[in-house]
Amino acid sequence: MMNATMKATAILVVLAVALTGCGSDDDAVSDTTAPQTAAATADESTAAATPAVAGTITVSAAASLTGVFTTLEEAFTAANPDATIDINFGSSGQLSTQIQSGAPADLAAFADEAPMAVLDKAGLLAGPAEIFARNQLVIVTKPGNPKGISSLADLATAGIISLCADTAPCGKFANQALASAAVSIPENSVTRGQDVKATLTAVAQGDAEAAIVYVTDAAASGDSVATVEIPEADNVVAKYPIAVLGSTQNIELAEAFMAFVLSDDGQAALGDAGFLSK
Amino acid sequence: MSSAAGPTRRRRPPLLVVVVSAVTIAVFALPLAGLLGRASWSTLIDDLTTPDAVDSLRLSLICSLAATALSVLFGLPLAWLLARVEFPGRSLARGLVLLPLVLPPVVGGVALLSAFSRRGILGEHLYDWFGLQLTFTTAGAILAETFVALPFFVITVEAGLRSMDRRYEDVASSLGADRWTVFRRVTLPLVAPSLVAGAVLSWARALGEFGATITFAGNIIGRTQTLPLAVYLQLESDPDTAIALSLVLLVVSLTVIVSLRDRWLGAS
Repeated sequence: MMNATMKATAILVVLAVALTGCGSDDDAVSDTTAPQTAAATADESTAAATPAVAGTITVSAAASLTGVFTTLEEAFTAANPDATIDINFGSSGQLSTQIQSGAPADLAAFADEAPMAVLDKAGLLAGPAEIFARNQLVIVTKPGNPKGISSLADLATAGIISLCADTAPCGKFANQALASAAVSIPENSVTRGQDVKATLTAVAQGDAEAAIVYVTDAAASGDSVATVEIPEADNVVAKYPIAVLGSTQNIELAEAFMAFVLSDDGQAALGDAGFLSK
Repeated sequence: MSSAAGPTRRRRPPLLVVVVSAVTIAVFALPLAGLLGRASWSTLIDDLTTPDAVDSLRLSLICSLAATALSVLFGLPLAWLLARVEFPGRSLARGLVLLPLVLPPVVGGVALLSAFSRRGILGEHLYDWFGLQLTFTTAGAILAETFVALPFFVITVEAGLRSMDRRYEDVASSLGADRWTVFRRVTLPLVAPSLVAGAVLSWARALGEFGATITFAGNIIGRTQTLPLAVYLQLESDPDTAIALSLVLLVVSLTVIVSLRDRWLGAS
């Protein structure tokens, strides 16, 4: 009797494990809405200047846009109540690959022109991409900067450094900045995050000493990290393109939201979040 | 398998059952078939021998074997205690140890951080007193894998201990053997199948661990980037290698399941 019960329990447990998925947890870190930070000045009146649009679109947006695009989405849908904007945040490289593999998206907003160019070359864009913002890199450390990091060179000896994966724009740019400063961090001291938010979390919540992320991410984290500037000579300017995708089912709504992002009010919200003007 | 159900009758199974089962098997076979189809067979060996791939294979092997060893070392006494000794709070103790079986792995990683990171309740002291940091180290990856693998060992071995015939132990004691001798010469051989099954299951679980590892130990090439992490992060940059590594994991998992089939369903 006990024999059968224990066996049944054990089999049920194995099934339960299979259901909870002991494999990849790729919804672990990305795709979460970030806390609101800088007060949004996105004015609803601009969003409502054109006749209200309706329907649902999906936007694939770079992780560094988490805070500001959430704000813009709220302003846009407040002015266009019949519109629903679902935003899928992630690493631009990953998002671009997903779109190439047929993931349904209407609008794409990336942190680098390269993943967008790939989509353009594959004929997946409905119209030309436009730059809507720019960003720069910054070093973040634990609050109070306990290791006294003052430059990129200090990162080589500070301990565990968190960088984005090479396929994420922030990782590619971090590599460029380090190369420009002729700094080489030992490979066994570098932990790579799958997008910029995960990279910053390793410092804010975990034990990484420092990370290279965007200025806007540092601003969004507030007091949970300290910042160290990267000199202009080594810093990289990231250009953020936005484009409507050919697979869109609702081109009016997609174009309307893209226009809103490019409008004065959209630009004001981006500026408040720390982005450089387009 | 027990044949006490009565004489077997040669009748075809119900059609509906067969159809549903066929569909289910197809759904589970398709991903494997897809993976085999997408694999770049001509470059397979090259993909598996790139420095990063070799690093992740080596790390996975070391970490999973170490996690299995720790699971056996710490899981066996616990399984014995849970199976043999009635003590207050036994159900709670069992519940705590088996929790990682149903806890989402990344939640396990966050929990490990809150305990063992440099700001964690224990980790803070480990760092201040001994300069010991577990996060972002291979030891941390082993800890994360042990956290998820040990419950598998405990549940399997406890089941085996409960279902074995204890009269042999009693006879051995009555013949003058001390407790350790009884355990070593009588109990262990009798539960050997459960021990092996438990060890193999926990090894497979440790090998496939992703969420807790990446959250607690981070993703450092050569130090904590095990196979599943390498697959996930290389999917963008080097899909052929990622798929080749996935095939390795798939073959290992399939072997484990097939070899354990009789253990699960057979008599202990």
